[in-house]
Amino acid sequence: MVVCVLIPRFQLTVAAGDREELLGQPAALAPEAGREQRVGEVSLAAEAFGVRAGMPLGEALARCPQLALVPPDPAGVADAWERLIVRLESIGAAVEPERAGLACFEAQGLVRLHGGTLDHVLAAARTALRTPARLGAGPSRFCALAAATRARARRPQVVLGDERAARDYLASLPVALLRGRAQTAALPEPLGRLGVETLGELAALPRAAVADRFGEPGLLAWELAQGRDGTLRPREVPERVEEELELPEAMSGVQLERALGLLVDRLLARRERRGRSLRAVVLAATLVEGGTWREQVPFREALADPLRMRLALAARLALLPAPAERLRLAAVRFGPVASDQRSLLEQAAAERKARLREGVRQARAAAGPDAALRVLAVDPDSRVPERRAVLTPFE
Amino acid sequence: MSASAIPRDGGSGGSVASARRHRLATPRRARVSADERDGRPRAVDGRLVDAVRESWLVEDRWWSEAPLRRRYWEVVTTCGRNVVVYHDLREGGWYRQR
Repeated sequence: MVVCVLIPRFQLTVAAGDREELLGQPAALAPEAGREQRVGEVSLAAEAFGVRAGMPLGEALARCPQLALVPPDPAGVADAWERLIVRLESIGAAVEPERAGLACFEAQGLVRLHGGTLDHVLAAARTALRTPARLGAGPSRFCALAAATRARARRPQVVLGDERAARDYLASLPVALLRGRAQTAALPEPLGRLGVETLGELAALPRAAVADRFGEPGLLAWELAQGRDGTLRPREVPERVEEELELPEAMSGVQLERALGLLVDRLLARRERRGRSLRAVVLAATLVEGGTWREQVPFREALADPLRMRLALAARLALLPAPAERLRLAAVRFGPVASDQRSLLEQAAAERKARLREGVRQARAAAGPDAALRVLAVDPDSRVPERRAVLTPFE
Repeated sequence: MSASAIPRDGGSGGSVASARRHRLATPRRARVSADERDGRPRAVDGRLVDAVRESWLVEDRWWSEAPLRRRYWEVVTTCGRNVVVYHDLREGGWYRQR
């Protein structure tokens, strides 16, 4: 039995902070700077105007001119969500967080730990969360999500039984539920145009016809409507080491890079690191104009060299939409203990070449064989310009 | 590598496109209005020519079946841009090349 914890409008609520009156009027999360211009989560009042999460900003404002745009707070959302996940894990649950505001866990192993019934597990989860959440339980993840969307704040909805029970439960529910899954989020609209309004109608369609029309997302939606879903993949409890720097005045450019250098040094000096290299870090900033900015940076290889970390991270600072008044660096994934054997002789050139080769290999893997080329002088003295040089694969 | 084999604007086909992508300084078609008397460009791609810096003639591969005769002009347009164009003296037409 899978339990789903759903906190509707979690990101909007966190971003609104103590301005709770915003949630009572038409409001939406503003698009993040530098990202696609689409609104984030929307308030109930905005939904009444036909504004939906993911809608282009222009269309949302056309539908609701008085729509209040709340600056996004990705760093605050990540922190708040992490706190809730840790609370859920504190009852022994192996949690798979799907997105901020939506998480699932398997209840099977917890039943005996919490009084012998599913109701006790749900009660324990509610107590641990200490925040209003909708809880649903069902034989599959999608069924549990559907149950959670129909649950009330203090009354969980439980679908008992197997795959067939899940299919029967889902049959009368709208296909709009497919928006809850990233891979199938775009399907409800075309399904609606074809007259498929409920999951039961989707499940009744021939599998091959759905595959022909919608491809892989369609097949997944069809499987979900049948009451089947993939197994849970709980997260590994992350070890988080972080450093924060409050800047004396709003900073950008070179000054901010110096602050970043200081943070990198501090992070690497932390005892909890135990000599391990870092695979991924999160760089976050509180912006002077309000709101926050957050970027997860996975390194190409596990690093423990402050210089190379600074090089990799400084490029991300350029993406900051406004000067920062607080900068934070957190290690979220660790690599093996940094034990690169130093050579007796200086081999900087060979090392640079090896790194360049690795960079080229990764660029090709991401963007195809033509991603890295070099200029080869074929006939540099030719009087005809196009004969002088060609581009050839980088060796 | 033959210069006459270089595809010009409007060329098509996968291998041609690939060859074009890997070659540098390939000529591109240009809209040039020239003086009828001496062939000196007066406007390049809608920009008037302010000055002619240099002109030279390239004759190559005259021994082959794809000979090449081009009159090159290095000009400065009114927007201050330095442009090199040539007139194909065998097949006609103007091209921009850098």
